[in-house]
Amino acid sequence: MMQVGRTAWKTVEWVLLAAVGLVFLFPFLWMFLTAFKTMPEVYQFPPTWWPESWQFENFRIAWSSGPFVTYVMNSILVAGGILILQFLIAVPAAYAFARYRFPGRNLLFGLSLIALMIPSQVIFLPVYVEMSHWGLVNTLWSLILPFGASAFGIFLLRQSFMQVPDEVIEAARLDSASEWKIMWTIMVPMAKPVLVTFGLFSFIYHWNDYFWPLIMTNSDSVRTLPIGISMLKAAEGGKQWNVIMAGNLILVLPILVVFFIAQRHIISAFVYQSK
Amino acid sequence: MLACVLSVTAVLAGCGGSKEAAGTNNQSGGSAAPQGQTASAGKPVEIDFWYALGGKNGEYIEKMVKDFNASHKDIVVKPAYQGSYYENHSKVLASVSAGNQPDVTMVEVGSIGAFADAKVLEDLGPYANGAEKKYIPGLLGNSYWKDKLYAIPFNRSTPLLYLNRDMLKAAGLDPNGPKTWDELRQFSEALTKKEGDKTATYGFSTAIDIWFYEALVFQSGGKILTDDNKELAINSEAGKAPLEFWTGMLKEGVMKAPPGEKYNAWDVAKQDFLNQQVGMIFTSTGDLRSLKENAKFDLGTAFLPANKNFGAPTGGANLVMLAKSSDEEKKASWEFMQWMTDTKQTIPFSLESGYMPVTTEAVESEDMKKAYEKEPNFQVAVKQLQYASPRPMVPGYKELQEVIMTEIQRAVLGQASVDEAIQKATEKGQKLLKK
Repeated sequence: MMQVGRTAWKTVEWVLLAAVGLVFLFPFLWMFLTAFKTMPEVYQFPPTWWPESWQFENFRIAWSSGPFVTYVMNSILVAGGILILQFLIAVPAAYAFARYRFPGRNLLFGLSLIALMIPSQVIFLPVYVEMSHWGLVNTLWSLILPFGASAFGIFLLRQSFMQVPDEVIEAARLDSASEWKIMWTIMVPMAKPVLVTFGLFSFIYHWNDYFWPLIMTNSDSVRTLPIGISMLKAAEGGKQWNVIMAGNLILVLPILVVFFIAQRHIISAFVYQSK
Repeated sequence: MLACVLSVTAVLAGCGGSKEAAGTNNQSGGSAAPQGQTASAGKPVEIDFWYALGGKNGEYIEKMVKDFNASHKDIVVKPAYQGSYYENHSKVLASVSAGNQPDVTMVEVGSIGAFADAKVLEDLGPYANGAEKKYIPGLLGNSYWKDKLYAIPFNRSTPLLYLNRDMLKAAGLDPNGPKTWDELRQFSEALTKKEGDKTATYGFSTAIDIWFYEALVFQSGGKILTDDNKELAINSEAGKAPLEFWTGMLKEGVMKAPPGEKYNAWDVAKQDFLNQQVGMIFTSTGDLRSLKENAKFDLGTAFLPANKNFGAPTGGANLVMLAKSSDEEKKASWEFMQWMTDTKQTIPFSLESGYMPVTTEAVESEDMKKAYEKEPNFQVAVKQLQYASPRPMVPGYKELQEVIMTEIQRAVLGQASVDEAIQKATEKGQKLLKK
């Protein structure tokens, strides 16, 4: 009896999961299929699912509409650079907040939490002026530096560093390990799932970021993928939806790859957290 | 999105102050040096041009700039795409406060007043010296702010009534389309087809957008703002007429209000029109080329129908020069702006993009006449210009139009009566104008 109930429940669970999954998958699927359609087919009603004839041409048009190799390289440099900088700053900061008592600790931590609550659009002007004073506008640095310190990263890592038992650190100190060594060889590996999850969030956010690169850069040589793709759109007049979708597919493909590589860790990050 | 709008306002307010201080510096230091340089040094002047059109139109602008550079040895224009009109606006304002602004840029017509008021723009009067008379008068309405010339028409549009002539003919209607609101309603009734309880085709559809509301108010002999720009003028018969017209047709089930926010609703309307589920729509002349390419029926355009009279706003963007540039850059900028909007350039740009030609000479030219003969739809927009009024352009109009639009949409959705909506919009809008 128990067994039957459990199987029934499992089935319900699976059906629900599949339904929710489909809801999230649908836009992806639509983007994917639209990217291969001809323009008249995009407008067709009732809409078709499967493209009548597969237009690989759309990808060529999207790709040749600008220096896409440069865009891709810049996107990698920017999203990657931010990630490295964020780790270099967030790990020691989170370690200090989690493991040290020093005057003003709570105040400082509070301040960094406030940074979490201010959207970048609100403070773009002062940061822009600052970057301009340093002569960094229209360089990749202006896309990387303002995001170097991530309040979210510090917060997330502090939580997970706090979960490491005191005994582990004390044992290391007894073995006369330096603080530096404790941080990088004991704390960081223990927080690996959290680091991966945070890294993924950060990477996806900055990979997709449109507003900041648009504001900070003027020339194609330092622009990122989202800007390149937005140039496919016309302000007024008809949009080439098929080409735009092909461009978007180029944009999200690396993210999907990164996501699939990292997904095992993401799941364990949540298991780890809820332990 | 909201954050973006807010930040733009904040920047506008902030710029007025910081700019003035920086501007005076520039003038005292700038006037002596650059003038000497122009004569002696043979180095070309570099100017930055920021534009806000993507897609094929953006590519065409790049090509125009290339042609300009090839034909002008003493000037090098560096074009840069900066996103949509509004993204470009926030960027221009940020760059002005940082001191690395472009020399020429595109500004959406309704925002000219806000930019001029923030003292970001250069007065073009002394440069033009009467040369502005070559532009079509109907397009110059949004070029002046407080009697000074600040902007030159560039990529300009106007709303049109688009028709599915095949559907009109099949229903025994005049394929030239309705001329008045009453006729639009009769046409819509005739074109609406029901299948059981469901409507298979609607006669008419339009995005409930401020641009079309402006058009309908003008057609009713009204205005959005009073002449001194200090009061909202929509709490009047002319201000209510568009809403009564729309809600009436919606109630009768002969008009469809496309779902979606802002330009999404426009896209739905266009899609329904192309799929022949809607017989007539309002949309921009800038859509003509692509609709024509994708329509599988005889597509026609007509004036927006009249209530008391014909009427339409214009839209699109103008070219402006920035006040902070040096004298030398300004001279080069004027040369460039004039060239970009000259008859020789505006004809192919218009034919390529669907935007209107901006000089009178262009409209009367042989090339344009030939093109119009081949494709009469292109001429409708230019003809309608004689009834065109400028868009309101007080500094706060961007926020004001959001307020009006929200209330209009409430009326259309049946959440408020026409009177309530207009009353609310006036109250809220008045507060914004007082600021």
